[in-house]
Amino acid sequence: MIKEDTHSTNGKIASPLSLERARLALAISAGKLAGASGRLLGIGGGTSLPGLIARRIDPDVLKSVVGASKAKKIVITGSNGKTTTARMTAAMAVNNGKRVSHNRAGSNMLQGVTSVAVNFADIFGRLNSDVLLFEIDEGTMPLVMPEIKPDVVVITNIFRDQLDRYGELYSVAKALDKTLEDLPESSTILLNGNDPQVANFGLKAKAKRLFFGLETTEIGTPVPEQSADIIRCIHCQEDLQYKVAYMSHLGLYSCPNCGYTLPPLDIAATSIKLAPDGEAPTHVELRTPQGNMTLEISLPGLHNVYNAAAAIGASLAAGFEKDKLPAALVGLKPAFGRLEKIQAGDQTIYLSFVKNPTSFNLILRLIAQHPGKKHVLLAASHTIVDGEDFSWLWDIEVEEVAQDIADVVCSGNKPEELAMRLKYAEIPIDKITRIADLETALDAALKNAGPGGTLYILCSYTPTNQLRRIMQKRGWVKHVWQE
Amino acid sequence: MSEQVQDTGMVLKIGHLYPTLMSVAADRGNLYSIEKRCKWRGIATEVEQIFVKQTPDFTKYDLILFHGGADREMELASRDIQAKAPSLLEAAESNTVFLSVCAGFQLLGHYYKPFKGPELKGVGLLDFYTEGGNTRFMTHMALECDFEQTGKQVMVGYENHSGRTYLGPKAQPLGKVIVGWGNNGQDGFEGATYKHVFGTYLHGPVLPKNPWFTDYLIQLALERRYGKVELAPLDDTIENEAHDAALKLAMQFKGTMSAIEATPWKR
Repeated sequence: MIKEDTHSTNGKIASPLSLERARLALAISAGKLAGASGRLLGIGGGTSLPGLIARRIDPDVLKSVVGASKAKKIVITGSNGKTTTARMTAAMAVNNGKRVSHNRAGSNMLQGVTSVAVNFADIFGRLNSDVLLFEIDEGTMPLVMPEIKPDVVVITNIFRDQLDRYGELYSVAKALDKTLEDLPESSTILLNGNDPQVANFGLKAKAKRLFFGLETTEIGTPVPEQSADIIRCIHCQEDLQYKVAYMSHLGLYSCPNCGYTLPPLDIAATSIKLAPDGEAPTHVELRTPQGNMTLEISLPGLHNVYNAAAAIGASLAAGFEKDKLPAALVGLKPAFGRLEKIQAGDQTIYLSFVKNPTSFNLILRLIAQHPGKKHVLLAASHTIVDGEDFSWLWDIEVEEVAQDIADVVCSGNKPEELAMRLKYAEIPIDKITRIADLETALDAALKNAGPGGTLYILCSYTPTNQLRRIMQKRGWVKHVWQE
Repeated sequence: MSEQVQDTGMVLKIGHLYPTLMSVAADRGNLYSIEKRCKWRGIATEVEQIFVKQTPDFTKYDLILFHGGADREMELASRDIQAKAPSLLEAAESNTVFLSVCAGFQLLGHYYKPFKGPELKGVGLLDFYTEGGNTRFMTHMALECDFEQTGKQVMVGYENHSGRTYLGPKAQPLGKVIVGWGNNGQDGFEGATYKHVFGTYLHGPVLPKNPWFTDYLIQLALERRYGKVELAPLDDTIENEAHDAALKLAMQFKGTMSAIEATPWKR
């Protein structure tokens, strides 16, 4: 696309190229305008609308803008950990003095990704960035990859997620793996070596493969949890043996039959000291191809060790300076709805967006380490974004934490489903309230928590947004796009 | 639930077939539903997990659960279950209750022929065969069931399958489709039964939201061992609300092949 510049100045008015450029300019302007009006009216942060509008006018808008940019293009995909990994990577880039364009608010389907191009480019489609950072939904990857041609692709993990959207896990994985084949030799694919399925990705790729993961027996369990998916060898179907399982099917695995095992890890957390109270920081010793690093991660939980290792791997692959990376993990604030700590007057709220059994279990276990019995608000919605089938509620290990729960308010448009799941975990019925309206539910839950108390909110995507909007109105949080 | 429950002295023996291999859509909720509804009535449950390469005498179980899995897991189960088949058939004939869901259901039939790939042999316990389609039914579902002991009842759940199932003369459908696609999207029926063997495409999981069906299975299973049994009533307010909400939702989706367009952002 860059070479068009030489053509455009020779005065041909109605040449196809200038038409193309006009259309691109119109698409970007219209997209920008849509985003600005959305923000002005307070109806949205322009996270996917600009992309939607721009693509209507010029379907090639993303391809044109990204193609014309010389920036390092980093793509982060997988089931869980995309948003936080991308934010950590962005912070590392900034620490390296780079200008970053990023779909920071986590709008990660085709339109949200296109919005990066629309929001950050000028109307001629020029980007003034050194790094383009894209968080991309794993199911959207086959659509977006040909348009972006990234330098670095990170695959965080593949968990059981959105079966009602994608049908089954393996088809998502297969399509994702296929997108890696077209990457050039100069690209790097960074894979989670602890994920028996993801570690086997990119076998046919020309690009260089690097593996990140955990490599310690200080933490974890001997057997993967119920919702784990890939617990059989991907080659011979024999049950995998785990030296240790960290979360879901991530762990140190090997096949007793054919010998399939995790690859040597290039970026490996060799020692992990989690804070004992479920909070941060976590201290990590990390081995990298450029030497060892000591990390202090200011976000709690094991999942953030994965996110940090992936972000460091991506940063090293993108050529950022190693010594400037760890500082980016200190003082990092959680992304919107990722166990986000919110001050609500004299009360404290932890807001968590949970979308599949793995993330739900993670957050439940983390919260369980906080002292005292917990006041909880659960909200689920069936929408096109959140999914229609909530079977997966029965994959959550609610039973593990049932004793820790003081009371629960169930909200969203599935309050009875949630309440029923809790009932079968034998949380006493008189501790469960059902209130469909979110704002009423929030107030009831805060009342449960009492003066100076703490409320834990776990909800699917749409209620997370809706609750956050209520909290914005009350002045407890900022708009997503202002963060 | 907090009041003292009188122990009935009864024990329900449950066999959970392939609990890790066939567990894709949180169908273990069916087991929880049975266990808790027994516990709340003072009925003890014993659950045995049955894995590949194990060939127990299945007639010792009053109730066998066999849930869904993706094609890859199903292939493995199909191979393994052949060694279990004679005993499973014997159990069915001795009135053991079976609840089979999705891929588990398909494997109780004669065979499953995927859209691509070799045919997978089933147990042949239910008289039907299944062929993979190139499209998938993924939506809310409701059916009308009519069993002698329960009368007309509505069953709700969520279907997610590409297999098309065609019943032979020896199998009865589980119910008539009110909303959704069911066995093959054509004949208006869903699932299959024979004696006390039940098969369905419904996830959700199916039992928690259909307490009447859970209790029907529990009762049949207990009666196999104890003769006529009367189940104490439970407070099903939440379950029935969940049932009614699911039915309402299903009605809104009537006619849709997929509750979520697989890729709505793809134009």
